[in-house]
Amino acid sequence: MRPSLRNDLVIGAIAIVVLVLLPLVSPSKALIDFVIRAASLGLFATSLNLLIGYGGMVSFGHGLFFGLGAYSFGLLMQRTGMPIPVAFGLTILNCMMAALVIGAICVRLKEIYFAFLTLAFQMFLYSLIILWVPLTGGDQGLRGGIPRPPFFGIDLADQKQLYVTSGVLLVAGLILMRHIVESPFGYTLRMIRDNAMRAAFLGINVFRIRLIAFVLAGIFGGIGGIIMSLFVSGAYPELAYWTLSGEGVFIIMLGGISTFLGPLVGTAILLLLNDTVTRFTEYYGLVLGSIILLFALGLRRGLTDVLVDSWHNSRAAQAATERS
Amino acid sequence: MATYRRSGISRRAVVEGAAATAIGILAAPMISRAQAKPIKIGMPTILSGRVAQLGTSSRNAVMLEVDKVNATGGLAGRPIEMVIRDSKGQPQEAARVARELINSDGCELLIDAEASSGAFAVHEVARDLKILCLHTNSETSSLTADPKQRIPNAFRVCRQGIHDSIVGGAYSANVANAKKLTKWMTCSPDYAYGRDTTAQFVEYLKHFKSDVEVVSEAWPKLFQPDYTEVLTKILQTKPQALYSCLWGGDLTSFIEQGNIYALFTQTETFAVNMADYTALTVVKNLPKGIHSGNRYIKTFPKTAQNASWADAYRAKYNEYPTNWVWQNATAVNFLSAAARKANSADGTKLADALRGLTIDSPFGSNGKLTLRADDQTLIDYAVGWGTTIPTEPYVPDVTPGDWRQIIELETEWKKKNNYT
Amino acid sequence: MDLASLVSCFGSSACLVTQVTSGLIIGMLLFLVAAGLTLIFGVLKVINFTHGAFYMLGAYFAFSIFKATDSYVIAMFGAAVATAVVGLIFERLFMSRVYGRNMLMQLLVCYGFILIFDDVVKIIWGAEFRSMGMPAIFQVPPLFIAGGVVPPFYLFLVSMTTVIGVTLWLVIERTRFGKIVRAAAHNPSMLSVLGVNTGVLYGLVFGLGGLLAGFAGALAAPVRSLTPGMGFSILIESFIVTVIGGMGSIVGAFIGSLLIGLIRTFGTVGFPLFTDGLMYLFMVMVLIVRPTGLFGKEIA
Repeated sequence: MRPSLRNDLVIGAIAIVVLVLLPLVSPSKALIDFVIRAASLGLFATSLNLLIGYGGMVSFGHGLFFGLGAYSFGLLMQRTGMPIPVAFGLTILNCMMAALVIGAICVRLKEIYFAFLTLAFQMFLYSLIILWVPLTGGDQGLRGGIPRPPFFGIDLADQKQLYVTSGVLLVAGLILMRHIVESPFGYTLRMIRDNAMRAAFLGINVFRIRLIAFVLAGIFGGIGGIIMSLFVSGAYPELAYWTLSGEGVFIIMLGGISTFLGPLVGTAILLLLNDTVTRFTEYYGLVLGSIILLFALGLRRGLTDVLVDSWHNSRAAQAATERS
Repeated sequence: MATYRRSGISRRAVVEGAAATAIGILAAPMISRAQAKPIKIGMPTILSGRVAQLGTSSRNAVMLEVDKVNATGGLAGRPIEMVIRDSKGQPQEAARVARELINSDGCELLIDAEASSGAFAVHEVARDLKILCLHTNSETSSLTADPKQRIPNAFRVCRQGIHDSIVGGAYSANVANAKKLTKWMTCSPDYAYGRDTTAQFVEYLKHFKSDVEVVSEAWPKLFQPDYTEVLTKILQTKPQALYSCLWGGDLTSFIEQGNIYALFTQTETFAVNMADYTALTVVKNLPKGIHSGNRYIKTFPKTAQNASWADAYRAKYNEYPTNWVWQNATAVNFLSAAARKANSADGTKLADALRGLTIDSPFGSNGKLTLRADDQTLIDYAVGWGTTIPTEPYVPDVTPGDWRQIIELETEWKKKNNYT
Repeated sequence: MDLASLVSCFGSSACLVTQVTSGLIIGMLLFLVAAGLTLIFGVLKVINFTHGAFYMLGAYFAFSIFKATDSYVIAMFGAAVATAVVGLIFERLFMSRVYGRNMLMQLLVCYGFILIFDDVVKIIWGAEFRSMGMPAIFQVPPLFIAGGVVPPFYLFLVSMTTVIGVTLWLVIERTRFGKIVRAAAHNPSMLSVLGVNTGVLYGLVFGLGGLLAGFAGALAAPVRSLTPGMGFSILIESFIVTVIGGMGSIVGAFIGSLLIGLIRTFGTVGFPLFTDGLMYLFMVMVLIVRPTGLFGKEIA
């Protein structure tokens, strides 16, 4: 096994243990809800970073898969009451197929046109959700709650168990995505990001690699949607709206593009901001806008980028003083 | 500019609570300390974005009534402390905020002032956490009518689509008979409220006047700024009568744009949401003679209590009361009455007391409002239709709806939908 | 879906006139906004997402100026100039710092400002929607042209936008300033070597975009209700227009706006519930066939 993969698994295991023990230390119920939402959005943002950070493919329509995941899972549970793992698997299959079709059309396009076309596809899905009232409930979404039958002794109707499950899904998803990114496939993807023409001359099938990345991102984005649908016990068209894609992009910019966990850090920042600011003022836009400007104009990088840069700078300064 | 009133109330509530505790201890050593502890009520609502007025006016109404309730001792001796939070109109935020209010902020019950989709999300939270929840702004009938949605601890304290449609259909059929209006057209926003309300109105219009024909429909998007294509479609169809459930800013834009096409001189218009001060006071060139259902009008019911209530609201907040205002005020009034009846502020006891409760209210059709026991929704509120004039009082005469007829047709509607 | 009505409309001259004029009305206003957007992109290679907020500011400025002066002309020009100033300041103080950076950083700056502008408008003018009202001069019955109905105000709107559009074209194609702007679109570094203060130029281009958006807002104010966040829908539509027409092409923005206007009007007749979806479908089709838009050039 790759040593870095072994490290990841160890870190992941420690993270899960910490997550399980945390509610015992701090009885705050808000923490539980926070972790569930962070797992949902964190997976979504990290999957988007597969495309943006590692693939150089800026997608404005990634929210499509989040919404598709939420609705597929919600509908399957509401209409059939099948076991959750089966619905989970079928939803992933659904996201995969959608990503295959949409990706095949989109990944041929360059940069900004890729962004527009993915956005157009997402808005098209959104229009469909709003229109197809008998299936999706239209603009009111899936109402009445989704049944959560226990499986393997796990009862997701219990918020604490949902919390642990989301945490496990987050850690597992992150490890998988890290594995993808650190694999030969991941390095090929990065090569294509840096210079697609050179990669093509080296005989790499650029289209195929990009499509695979798109599909993988779509799958993990869909899993984020499943967690959210469990959290709200339903699905709403807002979960498929373009603002969610925008949020994904901001999370990545806020958290930092240079490290793998940057998007997760960005997710935590955005959620914390959201939760604390709405407690104190209804001018959330003013506060969020100002903070975004702080990052975009002041720091000009995400948080982890700042940390990584300052770490590099201090190392370089240290090396310089040692030399002199 | 909206003010954030939370800390003001809590300070006063704490002082009152402390005073009550002190007196209680001195006067009757048996009274437990817990009864003077303030009761926190959570209120998720929309304070930003397009529909911010819904939240700000709901908040104003609640605070106005809570002040009165606290002045007379609060709920079973416990002063009310409101915790009002913005969900930005997103259902997943509404769910999160509702959970946070209960789990982290110590709220014991919810006044849910969310709009329709947010209300369904909060409804699920109430189902999961089993706390008392009063929905004050969701008019979607299925929230309480559908037994699959209904939960014993959730009540709807506001008007309902089906009631409005029955009253609207009856009134409009009378006008249509008098003016021989058989060729109709509808123009409503394309979302659940718009579609359901329009369909129901048409159903009841036809019920009361069977030779009505809806020859065409227009479905602009919600918050669509430009109605040109819709207006030209209407002008081409040349209907004798037009129905619309556009509301708020959309209705205002529609009226302004329709004016320059001289639409309202050619077509008898039935705009169910016109008679709401949010539209009446904003539209600069209000045409005469638009038929409208009442949302909230100071002159209906034509009682002194209603007029003085509206004046008091206006004096305090320097704005006209909206439809959301009377509904939220009523929720607080019901809670107060239920606490008196149950002599407790405990959620389950309050819920039991609320079922079937009747209170005096300036907003009732006969001075009273009732929370019907079987589906836990509000009935007997003042509902009626009238025609507009361009100046105050805007809708001088309102023909009230007949509640016996409403209930009779509503029961049939429920049977038809297997809601019984 | 109502294809029967759609077909019969194509057969009737009154219907055709009315619908085409409606398409023109919608399209021309959209063109003003989209033209500014595409101009800024063409010269500065920046997608100005704040453009919808400029439109909103234009409308609110017009509202306040009209209330104060009771003159629509002053309100219109005042709003346009005020918005131009906002655009200039926005560019000089903020956007200029993110040129050459990641497109996403630029997007982030714009998004931050949208949030701030929306809340500032809410603080100054209130959260409730407002209505400017039709200026008295236009409160007259509509005209009948070839069987179709045309309100005089809309006639004014279409003429005004045409005048502005033609003036814009003349400025870009025939004046020295326009020549510099076009040169900046091709080769900014060469331009600064030739001694042109590119910083000021960029500010002026943004100001020009703001001017156009401000005009659009002022022209829309008499008929539309004003609310914080009203810039959003027109931003999306003008976005679609510039994408369809080709980023950087004013002609493309014009054609794209008219197409969108016509799709909306005829779409409402034939597909009343799917008009938006129709628009996105059209955008998808154009992008698949011609990814750079109908009149766009390849982005270097």
